[in-house]
Amino acid sequence: MNIDFVLRNWNAWAPGISRHEDWRNWHEHQTFAQAEKAAIPITVPKILQRRLSPLARAVFNAADGCIDSDKSLPIVFSSAHGEVNKSLEMLKSMQKGEEVSPTAFSLSVHNAISGLFSIAYDYHQEITVIAPGQDGIAPAFVEALGLLQEHHSEVLIVLYDEPLSDFYPSLPFALNAPAICALALKVSLTGSGLPLRFCRTPAHRDDGEQALQILSFIKFLVADDKALVLGNHRHSWEWYKK
Amino acid sequence: MENELKQLIIDTLDLEDISVDDIDSQAPLFNDGLGLDSIDALELGLAIRKKYDVKIDADKEDVVKIFSSVSTLAEYIQAARG
Repeated sequence: MNIDFVLRNWNAWAPGISRHEDWRNWHEHQTFAQAEKAAIPITVPKILQRRLSPLARAVFNAADGCIDSDKSLPIVFSSAHGEVNKSLEMLKSMQKGEEVSPTAFSLSVHNAISGLFSIAYDYHQEITVIAPGQDGIAPAFVEALGLLQEHHSEVLIVLYDEPLSDFYPSLPFALNAPAICALALKVSLTGSGLPLRFCRTPAHRDDGEQALQILSFIKFLVADDKALVLGNHRHSWEWYKK
Repeated sequence: MENELKQLIIDTLDLEDISVDDIDSQAPLFNDGLGLDSIDALELGLAIRKKYDVKIDADKEDVVKIFSSVSTLAEYIQAARG
């Protein structure tokens, strides 16, 4: 099955890189700035800013460039590990016999960043948060394209992940990105933008988990490549520039 | 006591841009006043238990009154410590 859609707009943030032009340069050099935090969009109320982790700041920064002023788009967030590094910190403090901070707990759950986003932007549209496991970025597209078939005119996809604490042994899985990265993609079935085709392919591959696939997708957007295939040992997906 | 409590609020709740002098002892802590929310209430309750060994029960009828301002909170803690 092929699904055609249009990429209306996209915006991505990683340390030292945010404009499309920066990403085209990154494509050549593939390096990131060290330890830079994303700017917090001015829409975010002051009192909420203290709750934004570096990963949340990256997400807000990427998404802010793609949402409309009437806030009418459903949003599909997708993250392999979310704020799992926060959970690890809590587990460590429990091990020391300390009590768990209610704030830290509330900000560690998988939909924490989307929840903060909906509060900060007073956003009342449908929001989904996916944990795609080994399936990478494809489940977010399946979800978003499904929403478009249900007559939403546009949907925002927000893919984000950060490097895992080295407490977690990641080998033999390729799941660790070199830096925090968030990518927002506004998609629709019609209209101006980059026309793309999305389909399954029979290929068996290992392109790593979402953290690595986000960067592969950005490369695909800024490079001249006609097609991108991402997958694992079970199934693979193809994005094709029409 | 009130100033000590204000400093505890600032440190516990990461209110980086606020100083002790900015917090009015009589002003509401939640919603309108300082703009704190229910997560902050839980966090503050935990911090007060750690620092003063005073437990403020969430299902107590007067919990809203206790948490209404720095002044009422200080009064409650002092009374509870005896």
